[in-house]
Amino acid sequence: MAVEQSNKQPAMIRDYWPRFRRHAMALTILMQIAGTVAIGSALLATDAAEPTPPFWVTIIAVLAGSIGVNILLVNLLSTPLKDLTSALTHISGEPSLVTPPNPNARHFERDGFKPLLQLVYQLAATKESAEDIALTPVVPSNNLSTALENTSAGFMILTAKQQVLYANPKAPVHTNPKGEVVIDLIFDEEPTLEDWLKDCEEHAVHAEHTWQRVANKITGEEDRKIYDLTASYQKGSEAEVVLMLFERTDEYQPEDDDLDFIAFAAHELRGPITVIRGYLDVLGDELEQTLDVDQTELLKRLVVSANRLSSYVNNILNASRYDRRHLKVHLREDSIADIYDTISDDMRLRAVSQNRMLTVAFPEDLPTVAADRGSISEVLSNLIDNAIKYSNEGGVVSVTATHEGENVKVSVEDHGIGMPGSVVSNLFHKFYRSHRSRETVAGTGIGLYISKAIVESHGGKIGVRSAEGEGSTFEFNLPVYSAVAEKLSADHNSNESLIEHNEDGWIKNHAMYRG
Amino acid sequence: MAIKTILCIEDDRFIGEMYVRSLKKAGYDVDWMVDGNDGLVAARNKPYDLILLDIMLPERRGTEILAALRGGDKDLIPQTRVVVMTNFDQDDESRAAMQHNADAYLIKAEITPKKLLAVIDRINNLPPAKPTA
Repeated sequence: MAVEQSNKQPAMIRDYWPRFRRHAMALTILMQIAGTVAIGSALLATDAAEPTPPFWVTIIAVLAGSIGVNILLVNLLSTPLKDLTSALTHISGEPSLVTPPNPNARHFERDGFKPLLQLVYQLAATKESAEDIALTPVVPSNNLSTALENTSAGFMILTAKQQVLYANPKAPVHTNPKGEVVIDLIFDEEPTLEDWLKDCEEHAVHAEHTWQRVANKITGEEDRKIYDLTASYQKGSEAEVVLMLFERTDEYQPEDDDLDFIAFAAHELRGPITVIRGYLDVLGDELEQTLDVDQTELLKRLVVSANRLSSYVNNILNASRYDRRHLKVHLREDSIADIYDTISDDMRLRAVSQNRMLTVAFPEDLPTVAADRGSISEVLSNLIDNAIKYSNEGGVVSVTATHEGENVKVSVEDHGIGMPGSVVSNLFHKFYRSHRSRETVAGTGIGLYISKAIVESHGGKIGVRSAEGEGSTFEFNLPVYSAVAEKLSADHNSNESLIEHNEDGWIKNHAMYRG
Repeated sequence: MAIKTILCIEDDRFIGEMYVRSLKKAGYDVDWMVDGNDGLVAARNKPYDLILLDIMLPERRGTEILAALRGGDKDLIPQTRVVVMTNFDQDDESRAAMQHNADAYLIKAEITPKKLLAVIDRINNLPPAKPTA
């Protein structure tokens, strides 16, 4: 029984009224019948009346009359309930044949029901407009506005073009001199917010993306904060892009400080390397006459290994600087051949000791480039080191350069194991190591990452062509000096790209002696 | 004036001995100090032709020694060449400040004794640094 009843429960507001009315009517009629029967029985029992036909007629007439009156009464008394229900049915949006009560109708005005109906309709209207306002960022309703003002999270509403429509107090923004509100976030990894929004505009209707560890300022600046953030995109909505940011500085900052640890660790590593390289140098000279061919070869291997160790420490330091955006290049006029000269002995030794043929040929008429000698020599050294690593015993590694428009293109080609296309796209990522190399070749996978960073800091590009089993060619571009000289001089104070003015002589640049 | 006397301020015994040995072999007069205070005192007491200056030193950092010698109104060692030799990866600002008052700034790990001798030869042929601090 109970189950049946619950199944019959009205699922819709409009069903309530007919059901209520049915019950009320049934109850009234039953009560009238019961009342009449009771009175009739009492009259007969006390002998106040005889069960004669006139008596029965009277009883039935009274019953019929009172039922009629009661039906009228029930209808009258429940009218307000009927009106309220149909008003609510209308507001709820349920389909209904009943016309909703009009609060301006005369009889409502007369009986004072008008304010009740008006209140119901008003409440519904407020609810609707509250929903509308929530979509209009500039005037949030009171509660929402209080929440946004006081929360520790950052909220922003943007257009797909990254125009800031709304930013709460914790959102990392500043107003630039033109009066535009600009987002203070540095996206380290792809996609950046800009990339993502561009992609959304082209391909998405609704999208969401989360970034972790996004800072508002570069390391070392005051008030640096680090956030995790989520962006949602809804095409065509008034709040097309919503950013939510949660500050995680306390969690992430210590790890950033650890990066300084790298500078100290490198200092410790370089101490023994200095001694090893130094004494190898001394021993090489002093034992030259007494060592036989084999022993000389062993000594060479020691020298090569110590030199490589030293380059790796430089790679780690550079990568750490680059990650902290402290990698600076000091561009000056230089030639590829002169840059290579600073590492040629080392490279030749590396190639010979591992049985590779290293051929280096730069055209005589190659124009000068704008380069940081120490950094570019590290790039060359990394590329040659890789070529040696990933080629076969007796293989040829050739280093060449060509003049192409406003660039000089430097190529390092090997005929080694090569790579499939799927590997190439990840190659310049930090700590990435190719499919096979994990087991067979030692290394950190940091060399190409830092090489890319250095080349790009020069305004150049680095890339690779490779075929599995045939070898790889790494190429990078550097701008021809004459093409960028003016721009570099103009940038002198920007500390991004500097020409090193060299009146005190070449020796100011310590990188001269790298490699 | 060709370089003849050299003060080496270096706390790592192996590195110090290595440079001193090679420099002496090459015919230079070399004094070697292992801590920053002794180094500064020696530099002020005797007019060396060249000072090889480490940065991470006990008692007194190389940066402080250089500042004490050349950072004031007066250059206390006008006749002396200074070569900063460090394995510490300084930030650009500190390095620029030291380079300004030095004739060379070298990473030790890159400088074998043979290369050091070549550097000293080159310095002989260069005009001295002109500190303007």
